[in-house]
Amino acid sequence: MAQESHKWGMVIDIDRCTGCNACVIACQSENNIPTNLEAHFNQRRAIQWIRIERYWEGEFPDVKARFIPIICQHCGNAPCEPVCPVYATYHNNEGLNVQVYNRCVGTRFCANGCPYHVRFFNFWEPEWPESLKNQLNPDVTVRSRGIMEKCTFCVQRIRRATRLADRDSVELEDGDRGLNPACVNSCATNGLIFGDWNDEDSQINQIKNKEMQEGGRAFGLLENLGTSPNVIYLKKVDESAEGHHGH
Amino acid sequence: MLPGDFEFKRLKPSKKQMILLSIAGFFGLIIFSGVVIALTFVLTAWMNGQPVIFANEGPEQPIVFPHKKHVEELGMDCTFCHRGVDKEAAAHVPTTGLCMTCHSAVGDGLDGITKMRSLYEDDRSIHWIRVHRVPDHVHFVHEAHIRYFSEKEGIEASAVCSKCHGDVANMEEVHGTEDGRVKQVEPLKMGHCVDCHKQHNAPTDCATCHY
Repeated sequence: MAQESHKWGMVIDIDRCTGCNACVIACQSENNIPTNLEAHFNQRRAIQWIRIERYWEGEFPDVKARFIPIICQHCGNAPCEPVCPVYATYHNNEGLNVQVYNRCVGTRFCANGCPYHVRFFNFWEPEWPESLKNQLNPDVTVRSRGIMEKCTFCVQRIRRATRLADRDSVELEDGDRGLNPACVNSCATNGLIFGDWNDEDSQINQIKNKEMQEGGRAFGLLENLGTSPNVIYLKKVDESAEGHHGH
Repeated sequence: MLPGDFEFKRLKPSKKQMILLSIAGFFGLIIFSGVVIALTFVLTAWMNGQPVIFANEGPEQPIVFPHKKHVEELGMDCTFCHRGVDKEAAAHVPTTGLCMTCHSAVGDGLDGITKMRSLYEDDRSIHWIRVHRVPDHVHFVHEAHIRYFSEKEGIEASAVCSKCHGDVANMEEVHGTEDGRVKQVEPLKMGHCVDCHKQHNAPTDCATCHY
């Protein structure tokens, strides 16, 4: 990775997703997300920067569960950004869709604008059981009541990894576990791959080049909306699906 | 009397009214001066970072620590005790264990040393009162700042510290008074950070510090 500017991105291989939710737990603990209770889910107010959506297919007994992990797509043309009246969410030069907590006034316009439902509002002051208070990550702000939050691609890890690479005068390594977001590190099947789109040789670029070709599995989530996401998905290899010709 | 004519009654307050009025005036004056003092405090603190009245003289620490003795007289570097400062985000306040590397041998009979040694024996730490604190949503990294100034501008580490922390080396608490306690000298507001970042072409992207 020799280039100066980065454009962080991710590849999510749905074919590898087993729906284990390890990424969700990793994200919750890395990013100081309060515990979601059943009541929060019932109110549709649970905070999950990454979530596994589950879809059932077919009738019993021939049912199939389909999983798709959904995170902030860090859209190149993000619908959440222009609606913010206080410029609390904007695109930075690293391709990240940044949420500035101290600027946010909690209008929730951005959450309305987001087609992926990946922005979350803090309806309450976050709470943890006493025993979990010491596990809070000091590198991440604890968001108070009344502000929006969302996936940051673990910018605190990106900052630390770039700083340490700078300090030791080495180049950032593609796929460095210190650089990868918590969800990527925790994925047991390597279904999530993080990297730099500006780096020609990065793993995500290799996958993109391969899968973007005719017959490839790559697609952008709701890309017909023109959001130009920085995350690309790889379709499930489904042998039972119509028109499947085998691999 | 024609319609529309006024008849002025001479206002002569009764004694009871006079007493009530003077009491109200007295309390009104107190409230007014209270508001003025509060406004002066808030506004000057907001603008200068250091209020004109009730100025922050630094908190009373559990041990009167003589920075001057260690730095000026013994010539120790900031990084000798604050060991994280050129390696990590946090500068670190030394543990009693680090104090004891010297003070197991030197400083017999001094109040602070006796206190520190007894804490060390009990495996307890000194509960220093924190002087410099930025809000939770600001992530300041000491290492990067020390590295930039010492590598790019050739300033030695201890001089870099003084840029934000003031001349801590000469902050020596005078016993029994508030003079010379370690205190915050710079406002440490965002404007203060951004000014310096702009001067040195450092990134001013929000996500540099706020995440």
